[in-house]
Amino acid sequence: MSSTAAVAAHGAHAEPHALGFWRTYIFSEDHKMIGKQFLFMALFMMSIGGLMAMLMRWELAWPETQVPGFGWVPEPFMYEGAIPPNTYNAMFTMHATIMIFFVVMPILVGCFGNFLIPLMIGARDMAFPKLNMLSFWTGAVAGVILLSSFFVTGGPAAAGWTSYAPLSAVPIYTGVDWGQNLWCISIIVLGASSLMGSINYITTIINMRTKGMYFFRLPLTIWSLFITAILLLLALPVLTTAIALLLFDRLGGTHFFLPAGGGEPLLWQHLFWFFGHPEVYIMILPAMGIASEVIATFSRKPIFGYRAMAYAMIAIAGLSWIVWGHHMFVSGMDPVLGSGFMITTMIIGVPSAIKTFNWLGTLYKGNIHYTAAMMNALAFVAMFVIGGMSGIWMACTPVDMYIHDTYFIVAHIHYVLFGGSLFGVFAGITYWYPKMFGRMMNETLGKIHFWITFVSFNCTFFPMHILGMAGHMRRIYNPQQYDFLKPIIPINEFISISAFVLGAAQFLLLANIIWSYFKGAKATENPWYANTLEWTTPSPPPHGNWPGPVPIVYRGPYEYSSPGVAEDYLPQSQLLEHSTGAANKRTH
Amino acid sequence: MAPRMTASTAKILPLVAPIRRIRSSGSSAGGDQSERPFISSAMLAIMMLIASEMMLFSGLIGSFLIFRLQAAFWPPPALPRLPIAVTWVNTFVLLSSALTMTLALRAAHRSRQRLLRRYLLATLALGVTFLAVQGSEWVRLVAHGLKLSSGVYGGTFYLLIGCHGAHVTAGVIWLACVAMAAMGGRYNARNAGGIEVCAVYWYFVCAVWPLLFGLVYLM
Amino acid sequence: MLEHMYFPHDISTFGPQIDRLFLLIFWLVLVVWTAVMITMVVFMIRYRARPGRKAEYIEGNSRLEIIWTTATAAILIVLAFMSRSTWADIKEHGPPGDVFYAVTGKQFNWEFTYPGPDGKLGTKDDIIVENELHVPVNKVVRIDLTSKDVIHSFYLPNMRLRQDAVPGRIIHVWFEATETGQYEIPCSQLCGFGHSGMKGNLTVQSQEDFDKWLKDLYANPPAPPSATEGASPK
Ligand code: HEM
Ligand SMILES: [Cu+2]
Ligand SMILES: [Cu+2]
Repeated sequence: MSSTAAVAAHGAHAEPHALGFWRTYIFSEDHKMIGKQFLFMALFMMSIGGLMAMLMRWELAWPETQVPGFGWVPEPFMYEGAIPPNTYNAMFTMHATIMIFFVVMPILVGCFGNFLIPLMIGARDMAFPKLNMLSFWTGAVAGVILLSSFFVTGGPAAAGWTSYAPLSAVPIYTGVDWGQNLWCISIIVLGASSLMGSINYITTIINMRTKGMYFFRLPLTIWSLFITAILLLLALPVLTTAIALLLFDRLGGTHFFLPAGGGEPLLWQHLFWFFGHPEVYIMILPAMGIASEVIATFSRKPIFGYRAMAYAMIAIAGLSWIVWGHHMFVSGMDPVLGSGFMITTMIIGVPSAIKTFNWLGTLYKGNIHYTAAMMNALAFVAMFVIGGMSGIWMACTPVDMYIHDTYFIVAHIHYVLFGGSLFGVFAGITYWYPKMFGRMMNETLGKIHFWITFVSFNCTFFPMHILGMAGHMRRIYNPQQYDFLKPIIPINEFISISAFVLGAAQFLLLANIIWSYFKGAKATENPWYANTLEWTTPSPPPHGNWPGPVPIVYRGPYEYSSPGVAEDYLPQSQLLEHSTGAANKRTH
Repeated sequence: MAPRMTASTAKILPLVAPIRRIRSSGSSAGGDQSERPFISSAMLAIMMLIASEMMLFSGLIGSFLIFRLQAAFWPPPALPRLPIAVTWVNTFVLLSSALTMTLALRAAHRSRQRLLRRYLLATLALGVTFLAVQGSEWVRLVAHGLKLSSGVYGGTFYLLIGCHGAHVTAGVIWLACVAMAAMGGRYNARNAGGIEVCAVYWYFVCAVWPLLFGLVYLM
Repeated sequence: MLEHMYFPHDISTFGPQIDRLFLLIFWLVLVVWTAVMITMVVFMIRYRARPGRKAEYIEGNSRLEIIWTTATAAILIVLAFMSRSTWADIKEHGPPGDVFYAVTGKQFNWEFTYPGPDGKLGTKDDIIVENELHVPVNKVVRIDLTSKDVIHSFYLPNMRLRQDAVPGRIIHVWFEATETGQYEIPCSQLCGFGHSGMKGNLTVQSQEDFDKWLKDLYANPPAPPSATEGASPK
């Protein structure tokens, strides 16, 4: 493309700061800066979502008592620090909405997608840099809209992140008026942001790969982001439809979800989960890609079954469209249909298992270096196994009848989303931090953060399986109102204490990010001796990504410990003058 | 802080091996000058936008079908019928705009500037006509008592048809921009990308309509 | 053994089937998980980096891929078909009913409708009682479940039974209690600020006690719940 060449010429000469403050840091069109913007937005939102989690845990362990230090919060949010039920409902709604839409998605897709795609495929920038900038700022506006709902009368949305109608469709049912409307608007705006992002990613990956970068030479991270972008592109419009109908019910006097006017409450659930299941894979696939990258690098071995890994992700993406009914087994859906969804859900477990086995295969006969990034990636695998396996109980319709809407589900969600996605995020941040900021993160601090997080994470979320088995419903603010839940009060207290440790440990991550930015050791071009293209340019890369020409690719991304060379790595762009043939063979 | 690797230097040392030079394409020029992509980025982007829009319409149509198939009476007895005859004509108007668009595209590919302008303006006029007829019919329907809040019948009608109308409006605005650029002689056989992308979007808008017409008006 | 894992005491006829499935999956998962974790930890220790060592260049193994793909698929599909038969027993061909009630959820109470002295539901002499459900032991209870406002969920932890109550729909559920006693009926679907604490009481009685209670109820019917209660749109 001619524009690529133009950027190239530009990239070779431009000074990093020639654009001035505003164009460099705020309205930047550089994919690397946009990626960092997404990262910082997400970290900020994470602190808010995390605070809410802490408050909820206090409430669940010591219900209807005053939260220490929160006496200043005005009524009706809190009463001298005590949390009333509607505030509790608002908190879990906002906690989940923030964590899903404004933390996990912006980091995995927004930050890593933007930062890594051009660098790993050998492009100077995204296909549409302006659109990319717009995507971030649209997302930021969505975040502001969501946060502003804390300040409207009636408080923020309180119908759960799933916003089941009719609860969410009529203000008097929750007592929330503009809070819910703002929630709807925010998610629609965020959808527009993701749409721009995903169009950009797909176009870039299809059209901007450097010479020799065939699809089957793409790093698995890029594969995962590519598939994720396709899922986003196709899933989000369905959510937009659902939310548009909901907004019309709330503001336009329609009755789409209200049986009184001929509406159908279950329609919301079908639309929402048709989006919702692909959405959960949107939140895990990039983490799977990151884990594959990190595990291969630090095992100093090719990823086991590269193609199987790519095909497994494609299979997951395909199957994720036909399993949504597993969220609705007890909704009154036809039981025969329920059985169909059970079978598809069991089948979607297969590609997930394939991936796990391949990660294990990658470790086999490796030469494993335990860096902080590697530890987080290994934790990702271990935790994802637990999260995926708890899915089997829930996929089994008769068992789900008992554990649906209990803490068993909460345990599952957090094993896949915290244990999976967030450990993947930690691994990714630690791994690419040198490339992003030009400095190494502190390994010791990183390992301390890892161990505290790993232990307290399991102490927090593993016992939730037991709560669920005891029948503890989710989304209740005082479990002690029920006699049959009396025996598990101590477990709730244990969970809350672990959760506080878990929450506090995240300050270590924040501290490490900030400290290393100023004090970390200067990063070399390729500190991990990795193969992929982002390590062939200075850390951080200049505007235009490579000071010289864009590298050409001669082989797959995981040629570690290749018998053809003395070193245990062989960059994708390394041209071997003398060769055994094996090392230079065109693997694709 | 970097892990200990077996590599002592970052440079790759060749092993003792049969010496065979790899015939590399491009050599020092780097990967920038890669071949022209099979399909231009702009075209790819618009096709993905359309894929996404198709999911949006699928959501709406799916919802509509659920209501339609559950309803005992459709339309409900007290509500006005939809204007079928006028809309047949209007359907014809929109579909012929797809034809003029094709002709405009062909003119652009042959660098026939006058023809191009004429067909673009014709397309634009047909699009505006479609919108005007739809608008006036909406006004009449509202006057006859079909409101957004008239049950799911009114709700789905305004939402589905309105959503399509919004897409036509966006298309018309885009067409106007393209027509303006064409006035300035922007497009020719070698530079027709701008028109092609716009045409694809316009085809999409035209193609969705018969489906909606069939479902909402005729079924 | 499930009682030791905090499961509520099981008192329904189909409960044991569900518990058995739960346990089956439990053992399956435990075995697979242990195998995976042992493998992982062994690999992590054995293949830790040591100076001078180089990893072995292994790109994969198609035979292995095929084996573990078919093995997992086979296990999961067998499991799906086993679950399918239990599900069908419970949901598709339940036994004929002995006792019939209507249950309606509303913000934030359960309304239990008992047939009046004529023994039929849906007639004028039906009696509505809030939050108190009495059923005879060893009798099949059939319930027409619905809701007045938002979605609630009718949850009997001790019966392993859960069914959403959806406004505008009547959904059928059944159960048969095998032991007498007092149990709780929480609402398990978020239904507003009073969701937590929305619960009814289930009393399973012997037939004689139940008949006595019913006679009392007919003699002193409670005042019907006021119509204005429970928010409803328009
Ligand atoms: C590996 C195979 C998986 C299976 C078989 C599975 C199965 C299920 C099932 C059956 C449910 C519904 C349970 C219920 O509500 O009763 C569920 C809920 C959920 N799953 Fe999974 N799942 C899997 C993987 C994942 C992954 C990878 C993620 C996300 C990264 C995920 C995220 C969620 C979330 C967020 C919910 C709860 C949604 C809600 O109700 O709020 N799951 N899963
Ligand atoms: Cu799902
Ligand atoms: Cu309820």
